[in-house]
Amino acid sequence: MTRYEYGGDEFIFVELSESMDMETNFKAIAITQKLREENIPGILDICPSNASYLIRLDPDLVSHKELIAKLKHFEETVNLDDLEVSSRIVDVPILFDDPWTHETLMRFRERHQDPNSTDLEYAARINNFESKEAFIKAMTDAPYLVTMIGFVPGLPWCYQLVPQDEQIEVPKYVRPRTFTPERAFGFGGAFSVIYPVQGAGGYQLFGIAAAPIFEKEQRNYDFKNEITYPKQGDLFRFRSITMDEYESIRKEVEAGTFRYQMKEFSFKPKEVLEDPKKFADDVLRRLYT
Amino acid sequence: MIKVIQPGIETTVQDIGRIGHYEMGMPPSGAMDKYSFHVANYIVGNEENAAVLEATYMGPELKFEEDAVIAITGGEIPPKINGEKVGTWEAIAVKAGDTLSFDFVKMGARIYIAIAGGIDVPILIESRSTYTLCAIGGFEGRALKAGDVLKIGQQKEKEAEIGKRVEENFIPKYGKMHEIRIVMGLCSYRLTEASKRKFLEIDWLVTPEANRVGYRFKGERLDFVEREQPFGAGSNPSNVVDLGYPIGSIQVPDGVEPIALLNDAVTGGGYATIATIISSDLNKMAQVKTGEKVRFVAVDIDEALRIRKETKDRLQEIKQKFA
Amino acid sequence: MSHEAKVISPIPGVFYRKPSPDKEVYVNEGDSVKAGDTIALVEVMKSFNEIKTEISGTVGKFLILDEDMIEAGQEIATIIEE
Repeated sequence: MTRYEYGGDEFIFVELSESMDMETNFKAIAITQKLREENIPGILDICPSNASYLIRLDPDLVSHKELIAKLKHFEETVNLDDLEVSSRIVDVPILFDDPWTHETLMRFRERHQDPNSTDLEYAARINNFESKEAFIKAMTDAPYLVTMIGFVPGLPWCYQLVPQDEQIEVPKYVRPRTFTPERAFGFGGAFSVIYPVQGAGGYQLFGIAAAPIFEKEQRNYDFKNEITYPKQGDLFRFRSITMDEYESIRKEVEAGTFRYQMKEFSFKPKEVLEDPKKFADDVLRRLYT
Repeated sequence: MIKVIQPGIETTVQDIGRIGHYEMGMPPSGAMDKYSFHVANYIVGNEENAAVLEATYMGPELKFEEDAVIAITGGEIPPKINGEKVGTWEAIAVKAGDTLSFDFVKMGARIYIAIAGGIDVPILIESRSTYTLCAIGGFEGRALKAGDVLKIGQQKEKEAEIGKRVEENFIPKYGKMHEIRIVMGLCSYRLTEASKRKFLEIDWLVTPEANRVGYRFKGERLDFVEREQPFGAGSNPSNVVDLGYPIGSIQVPDGVEPIALLNDAVTGGGYATIATIISSDLNKMAQVKTGEKVRFVAVDIDEALRIRKETKDRLQEIKQKFA
Repeated sequence: MSHEAKVISPIPGVFYRKPSPDKEVYVNEGDSVKAGDTIALVEVMKSFNEIKTEISGTVGKFLILDEDMIEAGQEIATIIEE
């Protein structure tokens, strides 16, 4: 059952579902897209999230009650078949089991469920993989849908395009770390993330992205217009790379010549929901041809 | 030009904030006590969104290298010019060569120093506000340091009347026990009924972890309704599937210490939020110090809107008087 | 003729007598100090702020226990000026 809630006098929070699934995320996209198209004065922020959405409003310009009535109407009438998600398929190179996140996770071992394993070993085991290599393969075989942006500027929550029973799920740290390196690749709940900047964090740490997703100096091509790169609706393929490739990408980034391998693409939710495997294969084929 | 001799503990350049970019995970930053921020700009005759200095717990020491008109509002950290006490909530003329310094904090936690013309720093994503976590905005993306030199801007609308003061009944007073009004909701369904009551009955102690990002409180443990955790939420009963956090929302990681998220906070995450501080009382929250106590008082949305209007009307009245 | 002065913390927070947990205290009661010497730390907003004596003399008494919470303006130690 959907919950419509007041977040003080300036926010409306709508929880579409307590649990995560792709259809709910598409519904959040569809409703917020519809709201955006209405261009209602006094709506300051429209933030679709994983299984919910958040709206900031100026109550002097738009009434809470009228807006909620409108949102309820959208919820009842929105049809996912009408939704066209404009997306980008992006190759995101990740160095798994890297020295930097390894150093960090060893430092915070006493805050972890299993102080005697690394985060990768622990997550592979509780998800019933025979080795961390098999676990990395599963994490990188199918692409992910960016279902939400937030926490800090540009951080993408990524949900893998596999059937529900193949979803990887891991707990967050027992107590959050006070430090996470910039560009760390983490996993928490059913979501993978890349930390745009260094800071606190509670997700399991598996590796590090070679390229930035936040660049306030705006030197590289993908940051010319905005300081953050990920957008909700993007399709990210995390590709496992070697230290050599990592270092060569770092050099490009520092020289300001890096550019993400990316294909623009739009799709309908139905294509994903009906056959995630086929959709994932199609996405990868488009990206690399 | 204004030279920073001593920066204080955390003195940053702030304006109304970076509004409308929450979707990309950008918190608003901006002055925490908006009431004091606006009034400071009204007094010196600035445009609505001119940037000011926000100082926490300790005032900075500033040397003015040109004549200026300033106003100091917010909590009470008594200001001095060349060692002589000067007034607050009023327009003060400062001469080139004068030094502005402050005594120890007497009341509240934050002061606002407005300078006619505003503080001139580059605009980043529609705002001059400092967001230190990502090192963007404000003065080089950070709190001021000794030796920094600030430029005065052009955002003056009119000449201020030196000595003109805000009437006493418009100046907020703060004790050591604060009532902060909230609207219960968001994911408050996750708390047991007993814990919802407890949340409103306890005098919460403000811990040293209380800054522009958020305030953490100590009190008693709050319990969540037992359930099998939904898919994607994470294993702790305080976890939910990651969602957006309203500014002023309160979460209770692991049920242990509630955290109120403020201007520089994370915009979303996986902890159940249980209530939101109403916008008018975010001003008051900014004046609460570590070691003081807070009692949360629940109001409904209509009451929250009535209080919002009251605050807005008061500001309008002050603005008229300085127009 | 000796005169007793009080060192006051201008800020609220957690009071520490050591620069870090594995170090010795800055000063002991009875030590002599010079104006400007750091005698304690106060942690607030994740930053550590040194508390300095403004006068030279001998440390009389610490009025706060290590790691206690203090208020802004609270007296933390006495210095006996000679």
